[in-house]
Amino acid sequence: MQPRLGHDHLGLGVGLRSAHFEHILSHKPAVDWFEVISENYVDSLGRPRNVLAQIAERYPVVLHGVSLSIGSTDPLDFEYLGKLKKLGKEVRARWISDHLCWTGVLGRNTHDLLPMPYTEASLRHVVERIRVVQDVLERPLVLENPSSYVTFAQSSMDEWEFVSRMAEEADCGLLLDVNNVYVSSFNHDMDPETFIRSLPHERIVQFHLAGHSDYGTHLIDTHDHPVIDRVWDLYRLAHELTGGVSTLLEWDANIPPFQVVHDEVLKAKRFVAGEPEPADAAAPEAREGDEPWRDAPLGGALRDAPAPHPLHHIRPEVQ
Amino acid sequence: MTEKALGDEPERLPLDAVQRWFQAVITHPNGVEEGVSSQEAQRIAHLRRDEIERIVRRSRQLSAEERIGIYAFAYYARLLEVLGEGFPSLRRLLGQEVFEGFAFEYLERYPSRSYTLDHLGARFPRFLEETRSADAGEPPAWPELLVDLALLEWEIAKVFDGPGLEAERPLAPADLEALGAERFASARLVAAPSLRLLAFRFPVNDLYTEIRNAGEGDEIALPSPAPERLALCRSDFIVRRYPLRPWQHVLLEALVAGGTVGEAIARAAAVAEADESTAFSEDEIGRAFGAWTAAGFFRALA
Repeated sequence: MQPRLGHDHLGLGVGLRSAHFEHILSHKPAVDWFEVISENYVDSLGRPRNVLAQIAERYPVVLHGVSLSIGSTDPLDFEYLGKLKKLGKEVRARWISDHLCWTGVLGRNTHDLLPMPYTEASLRHVVERIRVVQDVLERPLVLENPSSYVTFAQSSMDEWEFVSRMAEEADCGLLLDVNNVYVSSFNHDMDPETFIRSLPHERIVQFHLAGHSDYGTHLIDTHDHPVIDRVWDLYRLAHELTGGVSTLLEWDANIPPFQVVHDEVLKAKRFVAGEPEPADAAAPEAREGDEPWRDAPLGGALRDAPAPHPLHHIRPEVQ
Repeated sequence: MTEKALGDEPERLPLDAVQRWFQAVITHPNGVEEGVSSQEAQRIAHLRRDEIERIVRRSRQLSAEERIGIYAFAYYARLLEVLGEGFPSLRRLLGQEVFEGFAFEYLERYPSRSYTLDHLGARFPRFLEETRSADAGEPPAWPELLVDLALLEWEIAKVFDGPGLEAERPLAPADLEALGAERFASARLVAAPSLRLLAFRFPVNDLYTEIRNAGEGDEIALPSPAPERLALCRSDFIVRRYPLRPWQHVLLEALVAGGTVGEAIARAAAVAEADESTAFSEDEIGRAFGAWTAAGFFRALA
């Protein structure tokens, strides 16, 4: 099998967020690629879709969804899939990804990435649905390991075994979120290195990096801080095991200026080379307002936790 | 084995039952404890609070209930935040706590059934209308102000991301001038897809502007009831607001409904006659059409 399922190594990219629309269009920064939240664009006929069209003209684009609900026992939403396929064609998406999770049942959408029990029955269910989705999209689906906060008593296998068998049996790609591995491993008393070493590395198409919040007893995937060193260490391991794949930084709350986000993903070059980050790396160029996450709590009481990823809302422009 | 019987063996619940149980627990408005005891959850798994670990494992540091609580907290926190972002003026007017009280009740009554959060607030104005005090009547009062402001914010959001004419050349003032008086009167106009004609019981357009311009600690003066008409239309991907006189609103409504310009003006004249405070003349009508075409209200001649 070809590495990355035959997909290009796109380099170091950034998740497109509306706070950066203006900067990207006017400065055309030298970013390798962008990942966009599919749901923000599948129905858009206004500014968001127009911005995406301009960005897709200049940069490689990947669609990353949060509502596929591949693990749900509700029927698949074929209207949504049709829109996703159409958008993928229009922006020449390099691949389409979503999460190994379910978002709701009985017609409801909790808009959260809810965890699966890792059982043989769930595996059969998910594999069958991935095949259907891949038939509709006419391309391999790429699925991400989500951060999770519970495990189920009925699970009969580890998450990495489930993910590996799912990818092999459904013949799909994997988006390895290194921060999610770290978050889930902390929350479930697992070894993150074992997780990463146990995956089918040739099926990993993409890495995600992000920051999280530490609540002492658990971690929450908030995407509102820089990547911590322990996650960079895991990234280096994943890079070695895969030979390197497209890498993307997500930042979804307390979003700093574009250059700060871009600089954060560019650190990957140093960590892959084994160079430690200079202690004052960000200090010389940081300006007031550049580091809004410094005002955000790194942790707190259990009930004070912020709403974790995914949140996506584009504020209307109005006069 | 039936699901009823499996309810006594929660470790063996099929996937669909696990998902229904989990969703019932995390979306319960009173938290995990009551969620587990709720009829909906108990129909699936006959569990006491201290038996949750038969479905969800504990970790070294958190109980099963605390772990599920992370999802339960996030469910409402996330959706309240999104609703607040969708109705920022209403949230500012009411204050965070009161706004979230309304929003919380709304989420219970109308949980999201869409793949996109963009639809989350679709029924919020209607919900506010439904929940206003039953004895509310004339004159319009506080609840109507909330409904009107919510409607304005929802319409702005729809116009922002809906269809527009940015890729086309809309009808220009010169196109109408070229028609001559006779053909102008018999012309029918195709409205721009982003054009919205709105009628409110309170002057919420000015209120919306005031709230947008207000500083964090500024007090917002509540307006008295007064009918207000407004057009929304998008150009260059920006939603623009155009206050309308009553006769202008009627005229535009008649055009959007497919009437000729002459028919629309006749309807507007009837309204203007009853409104002594407004100027209504050929010049006024000409100026209005000039402004509306310049703003891109019309796609083309029908």
